[in-house]
Amino acid sequence: MKFELQYRPSHALATVHLAPGETLRAEASSLVSMTRNLQVQTSFRGRAGSGILGSLKRGFLGGESFFTNTFTAVGQGGHVSLAPKLCGDMVVHELTPPEELFIQGSSYVAAPDSVALDTEWQGMKSFLSGESLFFLRAYGAGPVLLNAFGAIQPIDLDGELILDTGHLVAFTGGIQYEITKASRGWIDSFLSGEGFVLRVWGRGKLYVQTRNPQEYGRSLGKRLPARQA
Amino acid sequence: MKHEVLGGADYGLLQITFEAPGERVVAESGALLAMDSEIEISTSARGGLLGAAKRKLLGGESIFQNTFTAKAAGQRLWLAPPVEGELKAIELQAGEVFYLQSGAYVAQLGEQLKLNTQWGGVKGFFSGVGLFLLKVEGPGTVFFGGYGALHPVVVDREGYTADTGHIVAFTSGLNYQVRTFGGMKGLFLSGEGLICDFQGHGTVYLQTRDPHLLADFLHPFRPVQSSNS
Repeated sequence: MKFELQYRPSHALATVHLAPGETLRAEASSLVSMTRNLQVQTSFRGRAGSGILGSLKRGFLGGESFFTNTFTAVGQGGHVSLAPKLCGDMVVHELTPPEELFIQGSSYVAAPDSVALDTEWQGMKSFLSGESLFFLRAYGAGPVLLNAFGAIQPIDLDGELILDTGHLVAFTGGIQYEITKASRGWIDSFLSGEGFVLRVWGRGKLYVQTRNPQEYGRSLGKRLPARQA
Repeated sequence: MKHEVLGGADYGLLQITFEAPGERVVAESGALLAMDSEIEISTSARGGLLGAAKRKLLGGESIFQNTFTAKAAGQRLWLAPPVEGELKAIELQAGEVFYLQSGAYVAQLGEQLKLNTQWGGVKGFFSGVGLFLLKVEGPGTVFFGGYGALHPVVVDREGYTADTGHIVAFTSGLNYQVRTFGGMKGLFLSGEGLICDFQGHGTVYLQTRDPHLLADFLHPFRPVQSSNS
Protein backbone atom coordinates (compact mmCIF):
# COMPACT_ATOMS: atom_id res chain seq x y z
CA MET A 1 0.00 0.00 0.00
CA LYS A 2 1.49 3.31 -1.09
CA PHE A 3 0.19 6.78 -0.27
CA GLU A 4 0.77 9.56 -2.78
CA LEU A 5 -0.04 13.12 -1.67
CA GLN A 6 -0.49 15.89 -4.26
CA TYR A 7 -1.60 19.52 -4.31
CA ARG A 8 -0.40 20.18 -0.79
CA PRO A 9 -1.04 22.02 1.40
CA SER A 10 -4.21 23.90 0.40
CA HIS A 11 -6.15 21.32 -1.59
CA ALA A 12 -4.36 18.07 -0.88
CA LEU A 13 -5.42 14.89 -2.66
CA ALA A 14 -4.33 11.45 -1.43
CA THR A 15 -4.06 8.62 -3.92
CA VAL A 16 -3.72 5.26 -2.21
CA HIS A 17 -2.23 2.55 -4.41
CA LEU A 18 -3.42 -0.94 -3.44
CA ALA A 19 -1.74 -4.20 -4.35
CA PRO A 20 -4.07 -7.10 -5.29
CA GLY A 21 -6.03 -8.17 -2.20
CA GLU A 22 -5.08 -5.13 -0.11
CA THR A 23 -7.87 -3.36 1.77
CA LEU A 24 -8.29 0.27 2.77
CA ARG A 25 -11.02 1.66 5.01
CA ALA A 26 -11.94 5.29 4.38
CA GLU A 27 -14.40 7.82 5.77
CA ALA A 28 -17.61 7.76 3.76
CA SER A 29 -17.51 11.26 2.31
CA SER A 30 -13.85 11.22 1.31
CA LEU A 31 -14.07 9.36 -2.02
CA VAL A 32 -12.91 11.31 -5.08
CA SER A 33 -12.23 8.56 -7.60
CA MET A 34 -11.05 4.98 -8.01
CA THR A 35 -10.03 2.34 -10.49
CA ARG A 36 -12.75 -0.01 -11.70
CA ASN A 37 -11.33 -3.15 -10.12
CA LEU A 38 -11.99 -2.09 -6.54
CA GLN A 39 -14.62 -3.91 -4.56
CA VAL A 40 -16.44 -1.48 -2.26
CA GLN A 41 -18.39 -2.25 0.87
CA THR A 42 -20.26 0.32 2.97
CA SER A 43 -20.56 -0.44 6.66
CA PHE A 44 -21.04 1.05 10.06
CA ARG A 45 -17.68 1.74 11.48
CA GLY A 46 -16.80 0.26 14.78
CA ARG A 47 -14.73 -2.32 16.49
CA ALA A 48 -16.13 -5.82 16.51
CA GLY A 49 -19.41 -5.89 18.42
CA SER A 50 -19.90 -2.15 18.77
CA GLY A 51 -22.19 -2.11 15.73
CA ILE A 52 -24.66 0.63 15.00
CA LEU A 53 -24.61 2.14 18.47
CA GLY A 54 -20.86 2.57 18.42
CA SER A 55 -21.04 4.18 15.00
CA LEU A 56 -23.81 6.56 15.98
CA LYS A 57 -21.95 7.54 19.12
CA ARG A 58 -18.93 8.34 17.04
CA GLY A 59 -20.95 10.16 14.45
CA PHE A 60 -22.77 12.41 16.87
CA LEU A 61 -19.96 12.99 19.26
CA GLY A 62 -16.96 12.84 16.99
CA GLY A 63 -18.37 15.06 14.27
CA GLU A 64 -17.46 12.53 11.63
CA SER A 65 -19.54 10.32 9.40
CA PHE A 66 -21.07 7.13 10.73
CA PHE A 67 -19.97 5.06 7.85
CA THR A 68 -16.90 3.59 6.35
CA ASN A 69 -16.21 2.40 2.86
CA THR A 70 -13.91 -0.55 2.50
CA PHE A 71 -11.98 -0.71 -0.77
CA THR A 72 -10.32 -3.95 -1.83
CA ALA A 73 -8.25 -4.34 -5.00
CA VAL A 74 -9.43 -7.39 -6.91
CA GLY A 75 -7.38 -9.29 -9.48
CA GLN A 76 -4.76 -6.62 -9.97
CA GLY A 77 -3.46 -3.46 -8.33
CA GLY A 78 -5.62 -0.36 -8.21
CA HIS A 79 -5.97 2.98 -6.52
CA VAL A 80 -8.48 5.12 -4.68
CA SER A 81 -8.22 8.92 -4.41
CA LEU A 82 -9.44 10.62 -1.25
CA ALA A 83 -9.91 14.21 -0.13
CA PRO A 84 -11.31 15.89 2.97
CA LYS A 85 -14.40 18.13 3.00
CA LEU A 86 -12.60 21.36 3.69
CA CYS A 87 -9.51 22.98 2.26
CA GLY A 88 -6.26 21.86 3.75
CA ASP A 89 -3.43 19.42 3.95
CA MET A 90 -3.19 15.70 4.56
CA VAL A 91 -0.45 13.70 6.22
CA VAL A 92 0.37 10.00 6.70
CA HIS A 93 1.34 8.83 10.18
CA GLU A 94 3.06 5.42 10.29
CA LEU A 95 1.88 3.45 13.31
CA THR A 96 4.28 0.93 14.81
CA PRO A 97 3.19 -1.21 17.77
CA PRO A 98 2.88 -0.55 20.61
CA GLU A 99 2.39 3.11 19.68
CA GLU A 100 -1.14 4.51 19.76
CA LEU A 101 -2.41 7.57 17.97
CA PHE A 102 -5.29 9.68 19.32
CA ILE A 103 -7.08 11.39 16.44
CA GLN A 104 -9.55 14.25 16.74
CA GLY A 105 -12.86 12.93 15.30
CA SER A 106 -13.03 14.78 11.99
CA SER A 107 -9.28 14.55 11.27
CA TYR A 108 -9.29 10.86 10.41
CA VAL A 109 -9.52 9.89 6.72
CA ALA A 110 -8.34 6.34 6.09
CA ALA A 111 -6.23 3.38 7.21
CA PRO A 112 -5.67 -0.25 6.17
CA ASP A 113 -7.41 -2.99 8.15
CA SER A 114 -4.17 -3.68 10.02
CA VAL A 115 -4.95 -0.52 12.02
CA ALA A 116 -7.73 -0.77 14.60
CA LEU A 117 -9.90 2.18 15.65
CA ASP A 118 -11.62 2.80 18.94
CA THR A 119 -13.50 5.73 20.47
CA GLU A 120 -12.36 7.62 23.53
CA TRP A 121 -14.95 9.33 25.69
CA GLN A 122 -13.90 12.78 26.83
CA GLY A 123 -16.49 13.44 29.52
CA MET A 124 -18.86 16.32 30.10
CA LYS A 125 -16.36 19.10 29.85
CA SER A 126 -15.88 18.62 26.14
CA PHE A 127 -19.63 19.00 25.68
CA LEU A 128 -19.70 22.30 27.53
CA SER A 129 -16.90 23.66 25.40
CA GLY A 130 -18.92 23.17 22.25
CA GLU A 131 -15.93 21.62 20.55
CA SER A 132 -16.21 18.14 19.19
CA LEU A 133 -13.56 16.67 21.39
CA PHE A 134 -13.92 13.07 20.54
CA PHE A 135 -10.87 11.05 19.85
CA LEU A 136 -10.41 7.99 17.77
CA ARG A 137 -7.72 5.77 19.23
CA ALA A 138 -5.76 4.10 16.44
CA TYR A 139 -3.45 1.18 17.18
CA GLY A 140 -1.82 -1.65 15.32
CA ALA A 141 0.63 -1.44 12.44
CA GLY A 142 0.37 0.60 9.29
CA PRO A 143 -0.21 4.04 7.83
CA VAL A 144 -3.01 6.35 9.03
CA LEU A 145 -4.15 9.12 6.70
CA LEU A 146 -5.10 12.34 8.50
CA ASN A 147 -6.51 15.61 7.22
CA ALA A 148 -6.23 19.13 8.54
CA PHE A 149 -8.13 22.35 8.04
CA GLY A 150 -5.33 24.57 6.77
CA ALA A 151 -1.74 23.41 6.99
CA ILE A 152 -0.49 20.68 9.34
CA GLN A 153 2.15 21.60 11.87
CA PRO A 154 3.88 18.69 13.63
CA ILE A 155 5.16 19.45 17.13
CA ASP A 156 7.62 17.26 19.03
CA LEU A 157 6.63 17.37 22.67
CA ASP A 158 8.82 16.73 25.66
CA GLY A 159 7.18 18.55 28.52
CA GLU A 160 3.92 20.43 28.64
CA LEU A 161 1.85 22.45 26.19
CA ILE A 162 -1.48 24.27 26.17
CA LEU A 163 -3.38 24.16 22.92
CA ASP A 164 -6.74 25.17 21.56
CA THR A 165 -9.04 22.17 21.20
CA GLY A 166 -10.21 23.23 17.71
CA HIS A 167 -6.68 23.17 16.32
CA LEU A 168 -5.82 19.65 17.40
CA VAL A 169 -5.42 16.95 14.74
CA ALA A 170 -3.74 14.03 16.54
CA PHE A 171 -1.15 13.03 19.10
CA THR A 172 0.78 9.90 19.96
CA GLY A 173 0.03 7.74 22.99
CA GLY A 174 2.93 8.83 25.16
CA ILE A 175 1.13 12.12 25.66
CA GLN A 176 -1.35 12.64 28.49
CA TYR A 177 -4.09 15.21 28.20
CA GLU A 178 -6.80 16.99 30.13
CA ILE A 179 -9.41 19.52 29.17
CA THR A 180 -9.11 22.62 31.27
CA LYS A 181 -10.36 26.18 31.28
CA ALA A 182 -8.25 28.73 29.46
CA SER A 183 -7.99 31.29 32.25
CA ARG A 184 -7.89 30.94 36.00
CA GLY A 185 -11.50 31.90 36.53
CA TRP A 186 -14.60 30.58 34.77
CA ILE A 187 -15.74 34.05 33.73
CA ASP A 188 -12.37 34.96 32.25
CA SER A 189 -12.31 31.66 30.40
CA PHE A 190 -15.67 32.38 28.89
CA LEU A 191 -14.89 35.98 27.96
CA SER A 192 -11.50 35.20 26.45
CA GLY A 193 -13.21 33.35 23.62
CA GLU A 194 -10.93 30.43 24.26
CA GLY A 195 -13.33 28.57 26.54
CA PHE A 196 -11.64 25.28 27.09
CA VAL A 197 -8.14 24.39 26.15
CA LEU A 198 -6.24 21.17 26.11
CA ARG A 199 -3.32 20.72 28.44
CA VAL A 200 -0.99 18.03 27.16
CA TRP A 201 2.15 16.64 28.71
CA GLY A 202 4.61 13.83 28.21
CA ARG A 203 6.77 12.76 25.29
CA GLY A 204 5.60 12.25 21.76
CA LYS A 205 4.38 13.89 18.59
CA LEU A 206 1.46 16.25 18.10
CA TYR A 207 -0.17 17.35 14.87
CA VAL A 208 -2.01 20.67 14.88
CA GLN A 209 -4.00 22.38 12.11
CA THR A 210 -3.47 26.06 11.36
CA ARG A 211 -7.20 26.84 11.20
CA ASN A 212 -10.12 25.92 13.47
CA PRO A 213 -13.15 24.53 11.54
CA GLN A 214 -15.64 25.60 14.22
CA GLU A 215 -14.40 29.18 14.16
CA TYR A 216 -14.53 29.15 10.36
CA GLY A 217 -18.10 27.87 10.42
CA ARG A 218 -19.16 30.45 12.96
CA SER A 219 -17.54 33.35 11.11
CA LEU A 220 -19.21 32.44 7.80
CA GLY A 221 -22.44 30.98 9.13
CA LYS A 222 -23.64 34.20 10.71
CA ARG A 223 -23.36 35.90 7.31
CA LEU A 224 -25.60 33.33 5.61
CA PRO A 225 -29.37 33.61 5.37
CA ALA A 226 -31.29 31.98 8.21
CA ARG A 227 -32.36 28.38 7.82
CA GLN A 228 -35.54 26.70 8.99
CA ALA A 229 -35.23 25.20 12.44
CA MET B 1 -3.94 37.31 -28.91
CA LYS B 2 -1.82 35.68 -26.22
CA HIS B 3 -3.08 33.96 -23.12
CA GLU B 4 -1.33 32.78 -19.99
CA VAL B 5 -2.63 30.95 -16.94
CA LEU B 6 -1.13 32.34 -13.74
CA GLY B 7 -1.64 31.71 -10.05
CA GLY B 8 -0.91 27.98 -9.67
CA ALA B 9 -3.20 25.26 -8.42
CA ASP B 10 -4.78 27.27 -5.61
CA TYR B 11 -5.71 30.60 -7.17
CA GLY B 12 -5.74 30.35 -10.96
CA LEU B 13 -5.87 33.54 -13.00
CA LEU B 14 -6.15 34.04 -16.76
CA GLN B 15 -4.17 36.84 -18.41
CA ILE B 16 -5.09 37.78 -21.98
CA THR B 17 -2.98 40.14 -24.07
CA PHE B 18 -4.69 41.40 -27.21
CA GLU B 19 -2.39 41.86 -30.19
CA ALA B 20 -4.72 43.61 -32.62
CA PRO B 21 -7.83 45.79 -32.44
CA GLY B 22 -11.04 43.84 -32.90
CA GLU B 23 -9.84 40.69 -31.13
CA ARG B 24 -12.47 39.26 -28.78
CA VAL B 25 -12.79 37.07 -25.70
CA VAL B 26 -16.07 35.77 -24.33
CA ALA B 27 -16.30 35.16 -20.58
CA GLU B 28 -18.79 34.07 -17.96
CA SER B 29 -20.39 37.09 -16.36
CA GLY B 30 -18.60 37.88 -13.11
CA ALA B 31 -15.22 36.59 -14.30
CA LEU B 32 -13.68 40.04 -14.87
CA LEU B 33 -10.85 40.89 -12.49
CA ALA B 34 -9.21 43.83 -14.28
CA MET B 35 -8.53 45.20 -17.73
CA ASP B 36 -6.85 48.02 -19.59
CA SER B 37 -9.10 50.89 -20.57
CA GLU B 38 -9.16 50.40 -24.34
CA ILE B 39 -11.38 47.33 -24.11
CA GLU B 40 -15.09 47.38 -24.79
CA ILE B 41 -17.51 45.15 -22.88
CA SER B 42 -20.77 44.05 -24.39
CA THR B 43 -23.23 41.80 -22.62
CA SER B 44 -25.31 39.32 -24.53
CA ALA B 45 -27.38 36.22 -24.12
CA ARG B 46 -25.15 34.08 -26.23
CA GLY B 47 -26.85 31.57 -28.47
CA GLY B 48 -30.02 33.66 -28.33
CA LEU B 49 -32.17 34.20 -25.27
CA LEU B 50 -33.75 30.76 -25.51
CA GLY B 51 -30.44 28.95 -25.78
CA ALA B 52 -29.07 30.99 -22.91
CA ALA B 53 -32.11 30.30 -20.74
CA LYS B 54 -31.75 26.59 -21.41
CA ARG B 55 -28.11 26.75 -20.41
CA LYS B 56 -29.02 28.65 -17.26
CA LEU B 57 -31.67 26.12 -16.29
CA LEU B 58 -29.77 23.01 -17.20
CA GLY B 59 -26.14 23.94 -16.95
CA GLY B 60 -26.20 26.35 -14.04
CA GLU B 61 -24.10 28.95 -15.83
CA SER B 62 -25.35 32.48 -16.06
CA ILE B 63 -27.61 33.58 -18.90
CA PHE B 64 -25.41 36.46 -19.82
CA GLN B 65 -21.90 36.40 -21.04
CA ASN B 66 -19.57 39.28 -21.57
CA THR B 67 -17.64 39.88 -24.75
CA PHE B 68 -14.43 41.84 -24.37
CA THR B 69 -13.28 43.51 -27.58
CA ALA B 70 -9.89 45.20 -27.84
CA LYS B 71 -9.87 48.66 -29.39
CA ALA B 72 -6.09 48.79 -29.51
CA ALA B 73 -3.14 46.41 -29.58
CA GLY B 74 -1.38 45.48 -26.35
CA GLN B 75 -4.48 45.71 -24.17
CA ARG B 76 -4.58 43.29 -21.23
CA LEU B 77 -7.48 41.52 -19.57
CA TRP B 78 -7.49 39.40 -16.42
CA LEU B 79 -10.24 36.87 -15.69
CA ALA B 80 -10.75 34.66 -12.61
CA PRO B 81 -13.14 31.85 -11.63
CA PRO B 82 -15.42 32.39 -8.62
CA VAL B 83 -14.01 29.84 -6.17
CA GLU B 84 -10.49 29.18 -4.97
CA GLY B 85 -8.80 26.69 -7.20
CA GLU B 86 -6.98 25.92 -10.39
CA LEU B 87 -7.68 27.23 -13.88
CA LYS B 88 -6.85 25.32 -17.05
CA ALA B 89 -6.93 25.96 -20.77
CA ILE B 90 -7.93 23.34 -23.35
CA GLU B 91 -7.25 23.95 -27.03
CA LEU B 92 -9.73 22.20 -29.27
CA GLN B 93 -9.23 21.37 -32.94
CA ALA B 94 -12.07 21.77 -35.43
CA GLY B 95 -14.80 19.29 -34.49
CA GLU B 96 -13.08 18.25 -31.25
CA VAL B 97 -15.53 17.99 -28.35
CA PHE B 98 -14.97 18.68 -24.64
CA TYR B 99 -17.51 18.33 -21.81
CA LEU B 100 -17.64 20.69 -18.84
CA GLN B 101 -19.53 20.32 -15.58
CA SER B 102 -22.01 23.13 -14.96
CA GLY B 103 -20.30 26.09 -13.38
CA ALA B 104 -16.76 25.20 -14.48
CA TYR B 105 -16.82 27.38 -17.59
CA VAL B 106 -14.78 30.58 -17.31
CA ALA B 107 -14.02 31.92 -20.80
CA GLN B 108 -13.43 31.04 -24.42
CA LEU B 109 -11.38 32.17 -27.39
CA GLY B 110 -12.30 31.56 -30.99
CA GLU B 111 -15.23 32.86 -32.98
CA GLN B 112 -16.24 29.38 -34.13
CA LEU B 113 -16.27 27.68 -30.74
CA LYS B 114 -19.71 26.18 -30.04
CA LEU B 115 -21.27 25.89 -26.60
CA ASN B 116 -24.34 23.73 -25.91
CA THR B 117 -26.01 22.24 -22.88
CA GLN B 118 -26.30 18.51 -22.90
CA TRP B 119 -28.63 16.39 -20.85
CA GLY B 120 -26.44 14.40 -18.50
CA GLY B 121 -28.87 11.68 -17.50
CA VAL B 122 -31.74 11.39 -15.09
CA LYS B 123 -29.67 10.20 -12.14
CA GLY B 124 -27.48 13.22 -12.35
CA PHE B 125 -30.59 15.36 -12.26
CA PHE B 126 -31.93 13.84 -9.06
CA SER B 127 -28.70 14.16 -7.14
CA GLY B 128 -28.56 17.90 -7.31
CA VAL B 129 -24.87 17.54 -7.95
CA GLY B 130 -25.89 16.41 -11.35
CA LEU B 131 -24.10 15.82 -14.51
CA PHE B 132 -25.41 18.68 -16.51
CA LEU B 133 -22.82 19.20 -19.08
CA LEU B 134 -21.75 21.97 -21.33
CA LYS B 135 -20.70 20.51 -24.64
CA VAL B 136 -17.93 22.61 -26.16
CA GLU B 137 -16.91 22.05 -29.77
CA GLY B 138 -13.79 23.42 -31.43
CA PRO B 139 -11.99 25.06 -33.02
CA GLY B 140 -11.01 27.33 -30.18
CA THR B 141 -9.77 27.47 -26.61
CA VAL B 142 -11.89 27.04 -23.51
CA PHE B 143 -10.83 27.99 -19.97
CA PHE B 144 -12.32 26.21 -16.99
CA GLY B 145 -11.90 26.25 -13.24
CA GLY B 146 -12.55 24.00 -10.26
CA TYR B 147 -12.65 24.03 -6.47
CA GLY B 148 -9.14 23.04 -5.45
CA ALA B 149 -6.62 21.59 -7.86
CA LEU B 150 -7.68 20.20 -11.24
CA HIS B 151 -6.43 16.62 -11.25
CA PRO B 152 -6.23 14.99 -14.70
CA VAL B 153 -6.75 11.23 -14.96
CA VAL B 154 -6.05 9.40 -18.21
CA VAL B 155 -8.69 6.74 -18.78
CA ASP B 156 -7.83 3.72 -20.89
CA ARG B 157 -9.56 0.44 -21.62
CA GLU B 158 -9.86 -0.46 -17.92
CA GLY B 159 -12.21 2.47 -17.29
CA TYR B 160 -12.38 4.73 -14.26
CA THR B 161 -14.87 5.75 -11.56
CA ALA B 162 -15.27 9.21 -10.02
CA ASP B 163 -17.56 10.85 -7.48
CA THR B 164 -19.98 13.14 -9.36
CA GLY B 165 -19.26 16.06 -7.04
CA HIS B 166 -15.59 16.01 -8.06
CA ILE B 167 -15.99 15.75 -11.84
CA VAL B 168 -15.21 19.02 -13.63
CA ALA B 169 -14.61 18.08 -17.26
CA PHE B 170 -13.76 15.26 -19.63
CA THR B 171 -12.68 14.82 -23.21
CA SER B 172 -14.67 13.17 -25.95
CA GLY B 173 -14.02 9.49 -26.51
CA LEU B 174 -15.46 8.62 -23.11
CA ASN B 175 -18.83 7.09 -22.37
CA TYR B 176 -20.17 7.62 -18.89
CA GLN B 177 -22.86 6.19 -16.70
CA VAL B 178 -24.02 7.63 -13.37
CA ARG B 179 -25.02 5.14 -10.70
CA THR B 180 -25.70 5.02 -6.99
CA PHE B 181 -22.71 4.00 -4.98
CA GLY B 182 -22.97 0.52 -3.53
CA GLY B 183 -26.67 0.29 -4.35
CA MET B 184 -29.45 1.90 -2.32
CA LYS B 185 -27.60 1.44 0.92
CA GLY B 186 -24.71 3.36 -0.50
CA LEU B 187 -26.92 6.21 -1.61
CA PHE B 188 -28.20 6.93 1.87
CA LEU B 189 -25.44 5.75 4.09
CA SER B 190 -22.09 6.14 2.47
CA GLY B 191 -22.15 9.89 2.03
CA GLU B 192 -21.11 9.60 -1.58
CA GLY B 193 -24.46 9.16 -3.23
CA LEU B 194 -23.61 9.09 -6.88
CA ILE B 195 -20.59 8.07 -8.83
CA CYS B 196 -19.84 8.05 -12.52
CA ASP B 197 -18.25 5.20 -14.46
CA PHE B 198 -16.19 6.19 -17.49
CA GLN B 199 -15.38 3.86 -20.38
CA GLY B 200 -13.29 4.50 -23.45
CA HIS B 201 -10.16 6.54 -24.01
CA GLY B 202 -9.74 10.09 -22.81
CA THR B 203 -8.98 12.35 -19.87
CA VAL B 204 -11.17 13.19 -16.90
CA TYR B 205 -10.46 16.34 -14.85
CA LEU B 206 -11.34 16.11 -11.16
CA GLN B 207 -11.50 18.97 -8.67
CA THR B 208 -9.83 18.03 -5.41
CA ARG B 209 -12.60 19.60 -3.31
CA ASP B 210 -16.39 19.31 -3.64
CA PRO B 211 -18.24 22.62 -3.12
CA HIS B 212 -21.34 20.72 -1.96
CA LEU B 213 -19.42 19.32 1.00
CA LEU B 214 -18.38 22.83 2.03
CA ALA B 215 -22.01 23.93 1.81
CA ASP B 216 -23.04 20.92 3.92
CA PHE B 217 -20.40 21.82 6.48
CA LEU B 218 -21.54 25.44 6.72
CA HIS B 219 -25.28 24.75 6.81
CA PRO B 220 -25.54 24.01 10.58
CA PHE B 221 -23.74 27.30 11.32
CA ARG B 222 -26.47 29.38 9.65
CA PRO B 223 -28.71 31.37 11.97
CA VAL B 224 -32.02 29.64 12.67
CA GLN B 225 -35.18 31.42 11.56
CA SER B 226 -37.55 32.05 14.46
CA SER B 227 -40.90 30.30 14.01
CA ASN B 228 -43.10 33.44 14.19
CA SER B 229 -41.38 35.37 11.41
